Amino acid sequence: MADTPPKVEIQSTKKAWLSGASFIWIIPMLALVVAFGVAWQSYASRGPLIVVEFSDGAGITAGETALKYRDVEVGIVENVTFTGDLSRVEAHIRLQKNVAEYIDESSVFWIVQPEVTAQGITGLSTVLSGVYIEGSWDNEIGPDADRFKGSDVAPLIKPGGSGLQIAFRTTTNGTLTDNAPIMFRGIQVGQVGRAQIARSGAFAISEGLIYEEHRNLISSSTRFWDTSGFSFSVGPTGAEIDFSSLATLIGGGITFDTFVSGGAPARDGQVFEVFGEKEAARNSLFTTSEVDPLRMSVIFDENVSGLSVGAPVELSGFRIGSVESLSGIVDVAKFGDSRVRLNVILSIQPSRLGLQDDVSADGALALMKDRVVNGLRARLASASLLTGGLKVELLEVEDAPAAELTANGLDLPIMPTTESLTSDAAATVEGVFTRINNLPIEELLNSAINVMNSAEMLMSNGDLQKVPGDVSTLLKDISEIVTSDDVQNIPVALNATLMRVEGLVAELEKQRIAETLGKTLTAAAEAADAVTSSVEGVPELIAELQTVADKAATLEFDVLIQELTSLTSSAEALISSPETAQLPVALAGALDQLNATLKELREGGAVQNVNLTLASARNAADSIAVSARDLPQMITRLNALFVQAGQTIDGYNKGDQLSRAAEAALRDIQQAAGALEKLARTIERNPNSLLLGR
Amino acid sequence: MELSGTSQKTITAREAGLVACTRCARAWPLGTPVCGRCGAKLVSRKENSLQRVWALWIVGLICYFPANLYPMLLTRQLFTETDSTIISGAVDLAHHGAFGIAAIILIASVVIPLGKFWAIAFLAVSVRKQGGIASHRRLLMFEVVEYIGRWSMIDIFVVAILSALVQIKGLVTINPGPAAFFFALSVIFTMLSAQAFDPRMIWDAQDNDNEVPDHG
Repeated sequence: MADTPPKVEIQSTKKAWLSGASFIWIIPMLALVVAFGVAWQSYASRGPLIVVEFSDGAGITAGETALKYRDVEVGIVENVTFTGDLSRVEAHIRLQKNVAEYIDESSVFWIVQPEVTAQGITGLSTVLSGVYIEGSWDNEIGPDADRFKGSDVAPLIKPGGSGLQIAFRTTTNGTLTDNAPIMFRGIQVGQVGRAQIARSGAFAISEGLIYEEHRNLISSSTRFWDTSGFSFSVGPTGAEIDFSSLATLIGGGITFDTFVSGGAPARDGQVFEVFGEKEAARNSLFTTSEVDPLRMSVIFDENVSGLSVGAPVELSGFRIGSVESLSGIVDVAKFGDSRVRLNVILSIQPSRLGLQDDVSADGALALMKDRVVNGLRARLASASLLTGGLKVELLEVEDAPAAELTANGLDLPIMPTTESLTSDAAATVEGVFTRINNLPIEELLNSAINVMNSAEMLMSNGDLQKVPGDVSTLLKDISEIVTSDDVQNIPVALNATLMRVEGLVAELEKQRIAETLGKTLTAAAEAADAVTSSVEGVPELIAELQTVADKAATLEFDVLIQELTSLTSSAEALISSPETAQLPVALAGALDQLNATLKELREGGAVQNVNLTLASARNAADSIAVSARDLPQMITRLNALFVQAGQTIDGYNKGDQLSRAAEAALRDIQQAAGALEKLARTIERNPNSLLLGR
Repeated sequence: MELSGTSQKTITAREAGLVACTRCARAWPLGTPVCGRCGAKLVSRKENSLQRVWALWIVGLICYFPANLYPMLLTRQLFTETDSTIISGAVDLAHHGAFGIAAIILIASVVIPLGKFWAIAFLAVSVRKQGGIASHRRLLMFEVVEYIGRWSMIDIFVVAILSALVQIKGLVTINPGPAAFFFALSVIFTMLSAQAFDPRMIWDAQDNDNEVPDHG
């Protein structure tokens, strides 16, 4: 302590600036290095940011919703915004760097959320954990892209996914169901994607996926058909209900079979048709050739009534295909107006075109393109004049305006058209049909039906059925009249009358009473004069009677029967005529009249009239017996009687017997008249004899 | 009487030619290498004390940023997974009405560490440049910092206990997040930083205060 410490040499040496530093500084240095290292690493490992658009957010949360690839998180949503017009949601996704380079233009994104379908429940885990975005891309690095359009549903065919990717197309009446399973022997071997209506509107299309392990089940000759729903049939074995599975019953489904062997293995992108049922699918295999048909669209401006599905498509008269479907189309952009045109889809069989090497739809299309440049056009032509059916005809038109067969993308190529041939022929036919149409066929038919009805009524009409009866009763009546006692009694009565006249004359001869004789003679003289004058009318009477007899002779019953027969046959002939309807009434009336006439004839007492006449003649004879003065009157009355009898007979159609009897009666009358003449002459010549009784 | 005499000069051990054993408090003549009583190494002033303070302080500060930016707790409930940083956890608690717990967490994890950073930095600066606060008060501040520093680990304990207890597979699991690690590092480094500080320098600063004008 006593010694002062030696003077410390203070060296002002220039130290290196770190010499005084403690080693402790290594720690913050290390910390800084580590911090910067970590920061740099985390920055460097940050992947790029992509933007995926969705139609709605569906639960996407910024900072939480993950982007997953094969169910492994490869990114996270950093931000959720809207597009400029608020129409869509943009999810900004920070990718992990290791996958970022694979996310190229072909990548697809969709939101996985819980979904309950007929086939099952998917995305159940997202019920609690929230949705996530699933992405799919292939393992090749393609052109960069940082904006994507996400789909709302999981795409069936994913980029880089395995399996056979095919497309389905409905046939004319077929149906497609979204996401329907493709079943084979009860096992799901694939799935149908989302069905869409083709832009032409003629059919539905859908993509389909056959799982990789079942790929070899499909060949080009495989045919698919719809198994959705169930079939119910009642047959001899009982009722039968048939459906493939509950899933297909609810959600639809298609199945397939390869009916023939030898098809080429199916390629990705091949199009198969889905038929309505198994039979149609099987038949299609044998009715169409193995080559896919070339499908073209033709748009017609004019009226195409008469064109139907299945109508032939002809090239120079040779059928090369058929009309597959018809639909209307309105395309203001293409045609300049909003008229509805008819879009006809033709299905052309390439094998019928006679292609040499490339027998395929593409080859046919190339040929068609070439020919269209040279003027090949489609037009409508009449397939049949009678039915008015149309067909589509392809023909080469000279000096046709330039056109070409345009085919772009999914649309069917459109075949240019030319003026249709249907106008003249069809017009003629149409005229004919119009005329036929104008015919009052309905009225005619109605009339015919009425006639038939009337004929039936006529046939079943009591009146007409009574006609034969009436005729027979008429004949019977006539025969009754002829055979009636009254008629037969006429000659007898005449005879009796004459006999009584004779008796009267004999009595007159016997009576010789002087007193009365004088008066009688004067009266007789007068009477004789009268008789003379009376007798002059006798020949006329005879002639009259003769004509009556002649008439009676000529008028035979055969004629009547014939007439009746002809009447009947004309009635029969008239059954098919409208007037027949009124026939029963008329005929019945006629028959009634005839009957009535006959009845009158029989009952009305024509015969009795004769009888009465004869009775009157008897009374006249009696009167003559009383007074000779009455004789001329009697003759007159006889004359009248016979005129009456002649008239009566004229009304009749008498038999021979009657006419004979009448003739005999007339002869007798003649004789009686002659006797009377003789008597009168004798009295004139020798009046004494009357007085003397000699 | 000494405490009250802020203007009065306190004689340091070094000035008195002594060196005190920091373990057993026995004073030895300056230059004695080892304490004859307890065998501890005797140093009058810690070597490079300030450098170490600053270095460890910087490391602690570096660790403090990720401790607050990264999640502290990873909670996985059935299907949802949530992660919360220290502040967002406290805010969540406050949202649910637990203001007291939120306040504790905020004080223990935010206020105290930040206060420590400030206090250490203040002390380290003040030994070089005399501030307005009395030396005795600065000593008190140092003692409080050193005492309270360990309680900052309360957050880490909570995380450790939760992680250990709540491990029900499938239903709820709680795991420490990266922030826990950084927060622990931050606390450790601030504690080391505080320990690296030699409080005796406070009194040297008092000398400097007096001497500097003299030298000038």
